[in-house]
Amino acid sequence: MIEERGSFRDPAGKIFYLNKKVFRKISADGQERINFLSKNNLLKESIDKKFLIPTKKITDNHEYNFSKDDVIFEHERIPYISYPYEWSFSQLKSAALHHLNFHLFLLENNATLIDASAYNIQFLGAKPIFIDFLSIKEYEEGEFWNGHKQFCENFLNPLILKSKKGISFNNWFKGNLEGIHTSDLNSLLSIFDKFSYNIFVQVYLLNKLDENAKSKKDLKIKKNKKNFPKKNFIAMLFQLKKFIFSLKDKKKITIWDDYSQNNTYKNDEEIKKIQCVEKFCNYNKFQKLADIGCNNGLYSQLALKNNCKYVVGFDFDINAIDQAFQKSYSNNLNFLPLFFDASNPSSNIGWSESERAGFIKRGKFDAIIALAFEHHLAIAKNIPLEEVINWLMRLAPKGLIEFVPKNDETVQKMLELKGDIFKDYNIDNFEKFIKKNGKILDKSTISASGRTIYEYQR
Amino acid sequence: MNKVFLIILIFIVLNPSFAYAYLDPGTGSIILQAIIGVIAASLTAISIYWEKFKSIISKIFMRDKKQENKDKSKIDD
Repeated sequence: MIEERGSFRDPAGKIFYLNKKVFRKISADGQERINFLSKNNLLKESIDKKFLIPTKKITDNHEYNFSKDDVIFEHERIPYISYPYEWSFSQLKSAALHHLNFHLFLLENNATLIDASAYNIQFLGAKPIFIDFLSIKEYEEGEFWNGHKQFCENFLNPLILKSKKGISFNNWFKGNLEGIHTSDLNSLLSIFDKFSYNIFVQVYLLNKLDENAKSKKDLKIKKNKKNFPKKNFIAMLFQLKKFIFSLKDKKKITIWDDYSQNNTYKNDEEIKKIQCVEKFCNYNKFQKLADIGCNNGLYSQLALKNNCKYVVGFDFDINAIDQAFQKSYSNNLNFLPLFFDASNPSSNIGWSESERAGFIKRGKFDAIIALAFEHHLAIAKNIPLEEVINWLMRLAPKGLIEFVPKNDETVQKMLELKGDIFKDYNIDNFEKFIKKNGKILDKSTISASGRTIYEYQR
Repeated sequence: MNKVFLIILIFIVLNPSFAYAYLDPGTGSIILQAIIGVIAASLTAISIYWEKFKSIISKIFMRDKKQENKDKSKIDD
């Protein structure tokens, strides 16, 4: 039994893993919420409407050796857990809208959410889904939205930051797991940005009120004051929904923008590459594949068409990830693209350095494909070739890795400014390093410059 | 509308006796909800009436247009 390190904040229940399944043990604190959900059939309705991850109560505790008095639920397993700092603008926006839609649905059914954590939203392919049913409780007339501040920091502020200033929220969010503080965003926004009604109230005014409240330490306390009419609550959520829906991504040109159009491949190279991926995927029929350096997801989609069940794509280019997400969302694909800097991947962070698991800890893949990728680490980032191969082969027992030789146009461009300081960067060493970790099952040269795709097995 | 909003705003921001249940970093959020909840509800109500008004106008306009078309076809006959 493995305990989920990220589920300690709410004493109402704990997540744990057993036999590759996900369970949630409900404590005495959470029983009231469970009773409410069961009484109103809300759990089933939320699942049927695809707001909530499929969840069922374990009726036979004996089957799993659980104590007979324990109240345990089983959740459908998410193929790959991701965090908001790995999402693109469109991903965070779709998660925010899902959160608001779910909350509006709950309010209609006399329920509400106790928090607004972006970590409670996960993706099944490109579709957002709410995972924490213990966040749902019975609505009490007049109560305030307790998760409002958290919603602003986790969803609204990062979206405004990207939309108005063109600043990606990802690295900031990774540095502060609570998201982006309203006071920080307020300092960054110009007076013109604050002319928008929603930005004025949700950023400027909220910050002002917060500062004001903090400075008045001798204020009288009125406990349990509940005077926020439900219609106002609903209207506020609608306003936020409308505003977030209208926010557009302010994109900056990234290095690999339109890479698939502008790259230096010849058509026949691409055909050979496609054939390699098709053969590899069709033969192995992988459950979960990682596409390292997925760009806009061309080969991820190809893998899905060739008997791969689920693909997680990783790329450093946030615009390419956004494009890939939109494609996956509109075609309802089992493809989850994520922002990822291979030279600084998500590490174990948060409380006790374990609250949010790092890339390696979460990434149990059946296979990887890393096409036109290794030179971005070995040449552009000066990471020794052997370490790049070791790292890639550690990710999955099988995979395809493309070697890009020095005389290739792309590498030549990289070397132009740097100078050639990479003495051990050659195909012989590449093969030698693969053989140190496993064996080479196949290799195909796909270009005149000598680009070669290796199939390895660990 | 904007002036009323501004007056309420100044009053709330500057009023020293404004007090709430607890003084944690979320206090500002609760006060904000009390203010903008009312505004949001009013805006929703206004937009509902506005939509109704627009549909009435468009119905009248469409009726006029239909009538015009009918008259036109009669002339053509």
